[in-house]
Amino acid sequence: MSSRREKWTDILPRYMTFISHMRPILRETRRIIMNLDADLLLDTEVLDKIRQEEEKRNIRKVRALSEFSAMYRSNVYEIIKDFIIKYRDKIPIIDIKDYIVDFLHESIDALSILQNITNPDERNLENTYLYRLAKFIEEIIFSRGNNIKHIYEKLLDHTPKFYECQRHLLMPHTYYREKIENPDFFMIPGISPKVYQIINNITSLYNLDPNFGNFPEKDNYEIPMIITNEVFLPYIDSIANAEEEAIENIAERIGFRILDGIFLAPQKNTVEIFLKHNFLRENKQSDGTIRLIPQFSNETLILYYLAFASLRRGFLSKELINWISMNFAFLAYMGILKWKLSDENIFYAIFKDLQTNEKVLPYLMKLICFPNYLGLDKMKIRDSVQYRKEIFNFIGSQIDNLKDFIEEIAIYCKTIR
Amino acid sequence: MTENQDRTWKELLQEFIKGIDKAIEELEKRDVENIPGAKQALLKRLNNMKLHFPNNDGEIFIRAINDKIQNAFFPDTQDFIEAFEKILKSRTHEQDFIINELLNGFVTSKAKAIALGTQGPVIDRMVEAFTKRNDFHIVDHQFFAMFGDPNKPRSYIKKQLEELVNMFGLISKELVVEKDKRTSERKIYTFYTFPDGILKILEEKYIIIDEDLGHAYVSEEFDRTVFICMFLANITINRDNLERIGGSYTVNGICAIFALVLLLSFMPKLSVDEKNPILRDPTFNEQNMSVIPKSWMMKQVLEPLFEPLIKVVAYRLGGGLWYSKIIDSEINKKIHAQIRFLLKDVNKWVLGQLVRVEVPIFISIANIFTEITVGTDSQE
Repeated sequence: MSSRREKWTDILPRYMTFISHMRPILRETRRIIMNLDADLLLDTEVLDKIRQEEEKRNIRKVRALSEFSAMYRSNVYEIIKDFIIKYRDKIPIIDIKDYIVDFLHESIDALSILQNITNPDERNLENTYLYRLAKFIEEIIFSRGNNIKHIYEKLLDHTPKFYECQRHLLMPHTYYREKIENPDFFMIPGISPKVYQIINNITSLYNLDPNFGNFPEKDNYEIPMIITNEVFLPYIDSIANAEEEAIENIAERIGFRILDGIFLAPQKNTVEIFLKHNFLRENKQSDGTIRLIPQFSNETLILYYLAFASLRRGFLSKELINWISMNFAFLAYMGILKWKLSDENIFYAIFKDLQTNEKVLPYLMKLICFPNYLGLDKMKIRDSVQYRKEIFNFIGSQIDNLKDFIEEIAIYCKTIR
Repeated sequence: MTENQDRTWKELLQEFIKGIDKAIEELEKRDVENIPGAKQALLKRLNNMKLHFPNNDGEIFIRAINDKIQNAFFPDTQDFIEAFEKILKSRTHEQDFIINELLNGFVTSKAKAIALGTQGPVIDRMVEAFTKRNDFHIVDHQFFAMFGDPNKPRSYIKKQLEELVNMFGLISKELVVEKDKRTSERKIYTFYTFPDGILKILEEKYIIIDEDLGHAYVSEEFDRTVFICMFLANITINRDNLERIGGSYTVNGICAIFALVLLLSFMPKLSVDEKNPILRDPTFNEQNMSVIPKSWMMKQVLEPLFEPLIKVVAYRLGGGLWYSKIIDSEINKKIHAQIRFLLKDVNKWVLGQLVRVEVPIFISIANIFTEITVGTDSQE
């Protein structure tokens, strides 16, 4: 696939391609199993024969598609076989058959939602699953707003429940390709583990024992500040070199600035936001000046970074765009599965399989980037197969909070339409 | 040598008491607390520690470290399988959390040796790799694929895999393919798995072996714990062989982490005014969190406490060998300074207050202290 500017009508059919091949296979299989005498299921060779026959019937011209269909069908049959072998001594075969038919039914339902997630001309946009899900997820972990203050407030509302997801969205696991200092000052990368540690250090140093200096924009006020060098003291010479050099960039992303060349202090707007949310409090000194005492929480600075990234979503780095859109696509996909599939559904494994993921999610990622949804630069979504494998490898390393979020999305799905 | 005659131990205890004195002195100079009574509570606690810690040859330390840390994390055995089993049995979610932070945040920042440019969720990658197959093996090719073209792995990726295999104590098997499909050349694939004894322990709960199908699946329970336990078991049996556990860097990191755990456990809970905004903060949960004084985290107070405490932990866990590796070098100091901010989610900031999440290890260590001090008080 080339990186030319792709239109909605270019990507949607690609998204549909594989899904529209999965559903008929499951429907056919369900029909076959339903018509089969349950006792015949005991003999797994019967299933093998049926599969062979089915494979003969489908001769497609596009090699990738026929390969995928064969792989998909053989996975479906293997799972059915394994299920029968595992339970044939424990559960009556007639019940096993019912289970399989039910599981297939659920899977077909899920695929049907995935297939009708949106439509070619984005008709009735606000009622499509894609739009509703993207907006639901966006509101919680990547809120929109006219300014940072507004976005910050929205994000903070969801912090008690989903802070770990919010933080996760900012930390691409493929960060090692990121340059924290970009020649283009506006480019915003994700938070690398080192930058995360540095932000944590800044939080601690502010809460512990900050210095105070004049608030440049407001007479008679003092703001807290720390010495930039102190942030880097814990690092062995070369460990945080890159971060040290890029401190101005990092500072801007958490709403800070460098004063007098040595102090790290909050910007004017940041002071307003923090005051409003109790992360700074006013304290009148005996000389009449008002000192702003910091009382940060773990999320104080991270949420600022997130709000900053959300506001400037047009300037996110390639890695961060790939990571964010992948997480959105994954959450929407898993939410739908969670909604439609029972937890014990044996076909869950196929849906979560890397081979299925990489056929469905990359296109979903691009669709989600369109202006009506996340509004990210979809040209930055990488098409390299290798890269996809790399980032999808992390899909499984879920954090618990992400699982809670998927549950919540599944509940929300029920309210759509 | 009995504890009574152990001179080093006595010196270490004295050094710690000196550290407390210094910390008290520094603490008296300034007040960064904004909860009334917080500074006094910390002073009282430090004075109490000074009074009770030397008693009975450092009984509080011996019990806290031997019973709570050593038994759960580094059991006294030379057998890898036995060590693994013991650690696995005593594991809790919180232990995982602490050790995971250690591994991801600390050991991997040992950039040159383990994770050149690829710090991050190393363990999650391993878990993922095992989950993706149904024979409970991972193959080098699969690991390389996570970091670039598997057919042309960079040398540091190869080295990294080697380090990980050593760190977890995995075993390897080679498969020679006479004619590789891609290049038609001879190719050697290396498979890694767990030693047989470990596999036996993992069966049922963590791995489901399906004999009919000849498959070995990982269950939902299979997570980073298994690797964490492997890592700890490996350290346990090789504690006398520093080369095999990553040298003095690992020793310093581990001892600093547990010193921090000890210190955190010893910090007093503060009662906050019912009007304090922290009580209304949705991220604060009164049921399992306590506000503790934050001034102990000040560099001037923490340093005199932390340095001797790290040595105490090193000496109890690894004897003279580990103790000799805790030298006051600049590098070690920086490692320790990093650790100070490491346990982020069990030791977190809420509206400028330091909050301890009351996980079992903190509670049980704190209980030892309370039990001994209350016991002494009542005798008095």
